[in-house]
Amino acid sequence: MKFGLFYEISIPRPWTPEKERTVYNNCLEQVKLADELGFDHVWAVEHHFLEEYSHCSAPELFLTACAMVTKNIQVGHGIVVCVPEFNHPIKIAEKTATLDILSGGRLHVGTGRSATWTELGGFRANPDITKKSWDEFVRCLPKMWMQETFSYQGEFWSMPERTILPKPYQKPHPPMWVAVTSPGTEIDAADRGLGSLGLSFAGFDEQEKKIKEYRRRIKSCEPVGAFVNEQVATTNFLFCHEDEKTGVEMGKRLGNTFNYLATQLISTREVFSSPSYQSLGLLPALRRAATGPDASEQQTEGMAYGDPARIIRAVKKWESLGVDCINFILNANEVVPQDQVMASLRLFAKEVMPVFAKGPAAKVAAE
Amino acid sequence: MPLYGTLDITANARALPTLANLDTEAWTLPKAEMLQLLIEVPRSTTEGLLPKAMHPALPSYVILAVTRYSESPVGPFNLAVLRLGSRAGAHPRGFLLGAVASTDAAARELKGRWGLPVDAGEVKFLRRHDRVMGTVTKAGRTILDCALIDPQPVAGTDVQYINWVTAANAPLDGQTQPMLIQVDPKYTFYKAERGKPQVSTFDAAAWNAPQVTLADPIVGTCSTVDTDLPRIRFVMDPLKPVFQGTRRIRESRADE
Repeated sequence: MKFGLFYEISIPRPWTPEKERTVYNNCLEQVKLADELGFDHVWAVEHHFLEEYSHCSAPELFLTACAMVTKNIQVGHGIVVCVPEFNHPIKIAEKTATLDILSGGRLHVGTGRSATWTELGGFRANPDITKKSWDEFVRCLPKMWMQETFSYQGEFWSMPERTILPKPYQKPHPPMWVAVTSPGTEIDAADRGLGSLGLSFAGFDEQEKKIKEYRRRIKSCEPVGAFVNEQVATTNFLFCHEDEKTGVEMGKRLGNTFNYLATQLISTREVFSSPSYQSLGLLPALRRAATGPDASEQQTEGMAYGDPARIIRAVKKWESLGVDCINFILNANEVVPQDQVMASLRLFAKEVMPVFAKGPAAKVAAE
Repeated sequence: MPLYGTLDITANARALPTLANLDTEAWTLPKAEMLQLLIEVPRSTTEGLLPKAMHPALPSYVILAVTRYSESPVGPFNLAVLRLGSRAGAHPRGFLLGAVASTDAAARELKGRWGLPVDAGEVKFLRRHDRVMGTVTKAGRTILDCALIDPQPVAGTDVQYINWVTAANAPLDGQTQPMLIQVDPKYTFYKAERGKPQVSTFDAAAWNAPQVTLADPIVGTCSTVDTDLPRIRFVMDPLKPVFQGTRRIRESRADE
């Protein structure tokens, strides 16, 4: 089992230059510590216009900063929006290659298409065609990274022959993933040989079904890249405390805050009738988690908060379902004070991570 | 935490519709034809329109709907409404700003039973092959002229209608008081189309939203649905966040 951090970079009102800077600095401090503690990944989203929920509109800059203050932790673009109005594919290829070089080959590239009207409408993107443009982008990216020269004539973009520079540090290219929120996207991931970057907080049963289907389909995939990245990651909240009750209370506060902010987002389906957005994605689950009568039960199932023993039980359950990596959200609207976030990371690394480590650390934990 | 509305509906309670009780019987409304246009509006123009209990949708948007109800307990009528996109807690809602019904009986009953801020006027719903049109005239003045341009078939499952919230006085705990009322129709689709919204006349003041200016069209739909106006299930304190101030009046549709 691998462990990572997952950043939306949520910033509460009122926004001041100092507050934005403080939150970003807090995140960098957490990443630096996580690197020292042996966490495997740090992921950062690309979101635009999502007030309070996510101020992470330039993740490549944040991830570059992360790479500069760390040695080992892998940096994940989670995700790059593969819609032409958001990002030109040439720029994606160039920026990701540069980040891979600067990080010394530590980059993972997550891909996706955006789920909110706030963002799609903001860029005047057509929601009907985002799945198609994503498909074109993910097929082009590996070629742009690997081929000496590249030309393309597609439905959504085209270019004459040019040499796209620089090339990534990793050979043949960085691992590729796709964000999985809507039902069925895990199949898209499997069919293309992409890692499944789960961004929803579904319960065990639903995740187990998705993972089984992903593992089954990826066996016969036609990879878009030079290799198959068969990995399943899920997202979780983390608050680890010596006292279970304290840990659960703070973890619930973190989860509720995140969920409530997420439910304020205008999903594409809410306003734009489109066959491309039939599902509300993760929002219904978040609404139930935030306000439903069974909120407490849903909130706690599989959540990584509480004392180390409780978190170990939750992680073991995810492991048994076939999850390879859990990425943790550490804060939302800064409801968890920074010193407590840092303490939680340290305690998790000391008490929980060794249980799931391979090699000497695992041996120590077992003893 | 998210922004809240700023409107205190208790400050001008006399202007609100008043319900005799919260035991409104449901109306079944078969084969309704519903034209709905969603349009973004500048956030500054919606200032003061949303009750304190609710969160604004970001970006701000309004829902213009013109519906032909071919059957109802008060006979056929057309209804035009303007709603403001918003949130009641975690849930998407359309807060009703203004409405016009094509018959006096419909206006009276909708106001008295569900608290819709509705006046009587002339409401036309016209279907052509290249567009579906809605026009509203009140006191001899056109206050809405809108259309769905180039309707193309989509599946009913592609269309989502969000529930309504309206502000009204109603008796609760032995006292008639201002409150927010959730109106949550259900929809069974026969047909759905999608196209471009077009609005050539919109008299914002006539819809109780004098500052609102229409900015960026989102999408338009026209659907044929079996729908209803159900019994009132939830009311909300207009001054408290809805997760603190929501009261369930009755359990579910099963008691209709």
